[in-house]
Formats: sequence, C-alpha cells, structure tokens
Amino acid sequence: MNKYWIVFKKSLKSETIYRAATLSGVAGSLLGFFMQVFLWKALLGAGVRQDTSFSDMLLYVIINSFMLELTRTNVAAIIENSMIDGTISMELLRPMSYKTYLLTSALGKNTYGTLTRTIPVLIISAFFVKGVSIPDLHSFLLFVVSAFLGILLMFEVTYLAGLLAFWLQRCWFIEFYLMGFERIFGGTMIPIWFYPEFLKKLSFFLPFRYMTFEPINFFLGKTPAREAWLPVLMALFWLVVLNVLDRCMWQMAVKRLTVNGG
Amino acid sequence: MKDFFKLFSSFFRVAMRREMAYRGTYLAGIVGQWICYGSTFLSLYILVSGFDLLDGWNGAEVMVLYGLSLMSYALGASFFFNFSSGLSRRIRSGEFDASLTKPIHPFLHEVFSAGYNVGYISHFTISLVIIVIALSRLHYAPSLSNILLLVLMVLGGSMVQAASLIASSTMSFFTVGSNPVMDFLLWDMKQFTNYPITIFPKGIQFILTFLLPFAFINFYPASALLGKSIPDGYPAVLPGLSPLVGLLVFILSILMWNRGLSHYKSTGS
Repeated sequence: MNKYWIVFKKSLKSETIYRAATLSGVAGSLLGFFMQVFLWKALLGAGVRQDTSFSDMLLYVIINSFMLELTRTNVAAIIENSMIDGTISMELLRPMSYKTYLLTSALGKNTYGTLTRTIPVLIISAFFVKGVSIPDLHSFLLFVVSAFLGILLMFEVTYLAGLLAFWLQRCWFIEFYLMGFERIFGGTMIPIWFYPEFLKKLSFFLPFRYMTFEPINFFLGKTPAREAWLPVLMALFWLVVLNVLDRCMWQMAVKRLTVNGG
Repeated sequence: MKDFFKLFSSFFRVAMRREMAYRGTYLAGIVGQWICYGSTFLSLYILVSGFDLLDGWNGAEVMVLYGLSLMSYALGASFFFNFSSGLSRRIRSGEFDASLTKPIHPFLHEVFSAGYNVGYISHFTISLVIIVIALSRLHYAPSLSNILLLVLMVLGGSMVQAASLIASSTMSFFTVGSNPVMDFLLWDMKQFTNYPITIFPKGIQFILTFLLPFAFINFYPASALLGKSIPDGYPAVLPGLSPLVGLLVFILSILMWNRGLSHYKSTGS
C-alpha cells in the first residue's frame, strides 16, 4: 500500500512544476464556469424546467466540473505513450501491479487538477449560489459512495480501452469515442433529465451515466432514497464486468507485447 | 502563382501519404471525431430544442451556428494547425533555421513543410452534413447567390480561425516555449462562440467583436445567413462585413508573424 502512496504523491507533485499551465487552467475553468452561468441564465432565467431551477443547474455545473476533473486523466494515453517510448518495459518490471500503478498515478494528477481548477470555481460561485439546498447527510454519503464508484468506473473504461494499444500500437483516437459516449449517454454536457425519453432509457443500460451523472443526482437529492440502490448496484455491476474483461485482456496483452526499440 | 500550386500539391501528397501509412488508425480517428463532435451537436440540439429557444435562436439555427464554427476551424486548422503547434518545437530544435535558407518566404515554407493536416476531413464532413440539414429545415433557399454567401461566410470564418493559429505561433519567437496567456486568449475565449454571443454580458460581446474578433467566426456569419439580431446598438452592417473582417485579421496575423520573425534569434542548437 505504501508504495502506491508514493506513486500518488510523486504524480501529484510532478503536476505542480507546470505553474503557468496551472494558472491558465484556473483561468480557463473560471471562464468555462461563467459561460455556463450565462447560458443557463439565458435558458432558465427565473423559471423552472423539468423540475430544474437556475440554482439547481449551477450546482450541476459545479459538481459536474468537479467530477470531470476527478476523472480527467486518460489512462489510455499514458499506456500508449509508454508503449511508444518503451518505458512500459520498465514499468512492468516494477514490483507492483501495472493497473494499480496507473490508477494511483492518474489519481495523483486528477487530485491536483481538482484542487487547482475546482476550488477557485467553488469560491467564486459562493457569491452566485444563494438559497441552495445543501444536501442532507444521507444524500451526501450516497454522493460520496457513488462518486467513488464513478471514478473507478471511468478508470476501468479508459484502462480497458488503453489495453487496445497492445494490439494497435496507437490508441489516441479512443479518447474521442469515450468523450462522445460520455456526452451522449453520460450527461457530461447537459444533464440527462433534459433528454428525450428513448435516450434516457438507453443511458441506463450503459456504464457512462454512472460515472459522473448519478453522483450529481445524489448530491442534488434528485434520486429518492428508496431508489438509491439501483445506480449504486449498476455501477458495481459494471465494475465487476469491466474488471473481468480487462483481466482477460491483460492476460492476452502481455503475451503479445512488442516494444519498439525500448 | 503556378509554382505556388505545384509546390502546395507536392507537399500535400507527402502529407497524405504520411497519414495513410497508418490507415487503420487514420480511419478509426475519423470515426472517433464524428462520434465526438456528433455528440456535441446532439447535446446542443437537445438542449436548445428542449427549451424551444436560446435567446431567439431555435435548435436548427444553433446547429448552423456551431456548424459554421466547426467547419471554419476544419478549414483554417487543416492548413495552419501543424504549422502553429509545431513552430516552438522547431525553433527549439533549430529546425526552423532551415526555413530561413530556402528560396521561398520563411512563412510559406513553414506552412508548406509543416504539412496539410488531413485529419480535419472528419470535422469538415460532419459540419457540412449538419449545416446542410439544418439550413434545409430552416427553408434556406439553395439559390446560387445564397450558396455563394454561405461559401463567403465560411471562408471569412476560416480566415479568423487561421489568424488565431498564426497569432498564437508568433509568440514562440519571443518565449521559445508554449505561452499559456496566448493559449487562454485563443482557445478558452473561443468557447464563447458555441452560443449566440447575445446571451453574454455587454463587455464580452464587445471583446468578441472588436478586440478578439471571434464573433466573426460564426456568430455574425450565421446572423447574416439567417437574419438574426445582433447586439443592441451595433452597426447593422457587421454581419455582412464578416468575410472582409476575416481577410483583414488574416493579413494582420501574417504581418504580426513577420514582425515576430524579425525578432527571431536562433537558439543555436
């Protein structure tokens, strides 16, 4: 456990070198936040749609950006890079599981991104959001649980996709597929409660809505307590399925690993 | 001029072959971009049509707005993306010095040798399909003059997109490295063009019209095509001027690049 803690700390620390990038990241996320504020102001004004008011949407935007930051790092890109420059052969020699190593280093990066990019938005938004119902303890705990599962789920999907690099050598394009599916089925751009009925139904059968959208639903108290088991169970179900899949794939992948030049 | 096209076409063939070396990856990339941008179109459409109107724009009109942004980016970036993103690396490694010794202008040589980016075919095709569908749903008459207007507006927007790529690369002459301030101005600010600029406060409308003229990428062209209203008190000729503004900022960005070039000192590596 201790060695993974070191990986986590190192990868968090390595992000702090890029001061200028951090600053522009802060500015960019603030700008993005303001854009969303104006957009929803124009759409909702003082009204309510689909049970959603302007301050609900503000919370959605904030929690959404928080969840997106926590799941930002695309492990597929990391795997591809270490395939290309050959560092994978070193990483496989280390006395730790490659998957856990990737997970902890991605978490380190994402923690830094979350701290620097979400907290300024939180502080600024404190001036905007008035009279918002902060979730009760029960909803909050459900949020924490489902956010945790969501992060793992996101990691599993990108990891599984990243393993394709063992066959294709390249997998930069996978990011586009994932981003597209998350937007359509995961409600990362607009909340699913505005979706047409058939898309809404379809989204229940895919893993994407359990990554960031269900945690947000819990936070906003939109999921009634007696229905809470469904999203949590579905997230667990997908975690198990993906885990089995990636274990099988890993077995095949290491057998056919070719490193160019190392 | 004949030489110019001969040069361009031979550089173009090289770029095409380079991409086709990884045919599977290239095709998978194109489909991926379709899915990714398709999902943005879909989300925007669901959003706006669910609410009926976004500040007077309906779903199909917002599709035209975003389609113009993506199409002009595809055109501008296919010529200038490699050039813009690679310049600071080429300066650092010293490769850039070779461009100074060629018998054509360094700017042209940089653009040509960086290569035409064939990957943007995916952005172009999806935005073309969406624009055509949206315009036909809006009963935009496919007359010759209307099509000509559309082409002119897209060209104008593409030149603004190209100008922003050229301008951002100019900074590499001064900083020899990436410049986050420039990235912020040119990438993050551009997000505002996804929606009609009239939903934003007056200050942002002013910036996007007169200081960083990103509103001429798609907002003014779209309002020229669809007859949408522009911010209160702004001259009514602005939408019609879009192609000219595009040409103007494109020329300005090249002049800026040349100014930067005269500051250039080789890194000596």
